[in-house]
Amino acid sequence: MTADAQAAVTAAWRHESARLIGALTRMTGEVGLAEDLAQDALVAALSQWPREGIPSNPAAWLMAVAKRRAIDRFRRDAVARREAESMAGELREDTRPADLTAAVDHIEDDVLRLMFLTCDPVLSPESRAALTLRLVDGLTTTEIANGFLAREKTMGQRISRAKTTLAQARAAFEVPQGQEREARLADVMAVIYLIFNEGYAATTGDHWMRPELCLEALRLARLLAKLVPDEPEAHGLQALLEIQASRMRARRDADGEAVLIEQQDRRRWDWLLIRRGLAALDRAEATGRAVGPYVLQAAIAACHARARRAEDTDWVRIAELYDVVAEAYPSPVVEANRAVAHGRAHGPDAGLRILDAVAGDPALAGTSLPGAVRGDLLAAKGDRAGAATAFAEAAALSRATRRSVGCCCAARRKIRETM
Amino acid sequence: MVFVKMREDVGPAPEALQRAMGEEMGAAFAAGSMIDAGGLGASAQSTEIRLAGGEVMTTNGPWTEAVEVAGGYSILEARSREEAVEGARRVIELHKEHWPGWEGSVEVRPIRGGPDS
Repeated sequence: MTADAQAAVTAAWRHESARLIGALTRMTGEVGLAEDLAQDALVAALSQWPREGIPSNPAAWLMAVAKRRAIDRFRRDAVARREAESMAGELREDTRPADLTAAVDHIEDDVLRLMFLTCDPVLSPESRAALTLRLVDGLTTTEIANGFLAREKTMGQRISRAKTTLAQARAAFEVPQGQEREARLADVMAVIYLIFNEGYAATTGDHWMRPELCLEALRLARLLAKLVPDEPEAHGLQALLEIQASRMRARRDADGEAVLIEQQDRRRWDWLLIRRGLAALDRAEATGRAVGPYVLQAAIAACHARARRAEDTDWVRIAELYDVVAEAYPSPVVEANRAVAHGRAHGPDAGLRILDAVAGDPALAGTSLPGAVRGDLLAAKGDRAGAATAFAEAAALSRATRRSVGCCCAARRKIRETM
Repeated sequence: MVFVKMREDVGPAPEALQRAMGEEMGAAFAAGSMIDAGGLGASAQSTEIRLAGGEVMTTNGPWTEAVEVAGGYSILEARSREEAVEGARRVIELHKEHWPGWEGSVEVRPIRGGPDS
């Protein structure tokens, strides 16, 4: 088989994989088995489709094959069990789940359940991210390992351990209700955000930013917003990621150096993504329900996105939004960002007053953030000497603590961008 | 980017196709793989401004001599060329199923600046 034919088949399979694995998990009650069956279907497709062409309804074809394989496996297991049991002198009824022949319905519910399952709190955040990329996005272990700059073997072990953990914990394939649903939704969104940031901040490795990972997170956020359209935060997360992703091409200059938002060439922003982000933010607000951190961050990002030129930025609005964030989610880092916004909106002194109140906070001690913000505000005030000292302080701390080249840039980016 | 090219004199699409296309596009938007799409007006509403031999000429449609004209477009965000082709292939499969006799094409081309261009 040519590589092209193989890639075409894999693309068609991946198109269906989340729904396939979702439906199979519902039928078999076990996500590891569901994934194996979906892989069996891929193997069958790889052997048949290049010869016979891709069927006009690949979803139905793959599901039919996977179901046949499921029944084969259950029969085989049943035979093995009967043999074992007859040795014990005992026979029992075949206990395989009855739902195997059920039609593929509630497909959207299946995908949502699958997302809830791969983000089960019994798993570590890293494992949730890896398993979500594997089962919901249909990525290969190699692709996920590349995304996280991990060794393939390590990533394979992490994924297989995660599946075992879910099976042992008897994690349920269901959409929980009430408060538990809220909590799990927050977990799912946190995982999507983690995946995006892993790509966007790229704290390790040579690549400052790994766009593939950002795009996977963006897909997941779009999917989640469609699955739970009544949740303002899901739309808020989508809006935030669309708008942040819109700047991917402008965040580095030709030498690969970080470019802060006010210096970015806005012609290089992806205005289609911005339009989508602003529309998602509108949908969040149209739900009329109380908003949370993602909507607030998206609203701040939107203020930047709406400004065709840096000098058109509505800093007064950004400062107001940071006031809301600080009230709802108080933290020294938020205060530092709020200081920048107020500095831009109401003059450097307004910013310095906010900064002074938190500069000594232990959470900021030893980080470059207060120095970078102070330098920025003093520079705006025209105090060059003061600004130089503050920036030098920030740079020294950044050098001392940095894990990667992007660290100081990341700290400053944090200040200028959203949070 | 996917361009749909088709004959203009085939009348409106059957309802079944419109429904099926609506579902397929809804799913593609939900999956995050389709980020924009639009149908184009008839070539009667089209204006071409052409530079040839140092002269700028403006011509209004319709293009009666053209066999096929662009009828619509979509912008896909795909991980690979194959994924984009698969998305486009489905559109043709739906036309085959719901609009017997329809002839046309979809053309898939990368937008420059993406990872594969």
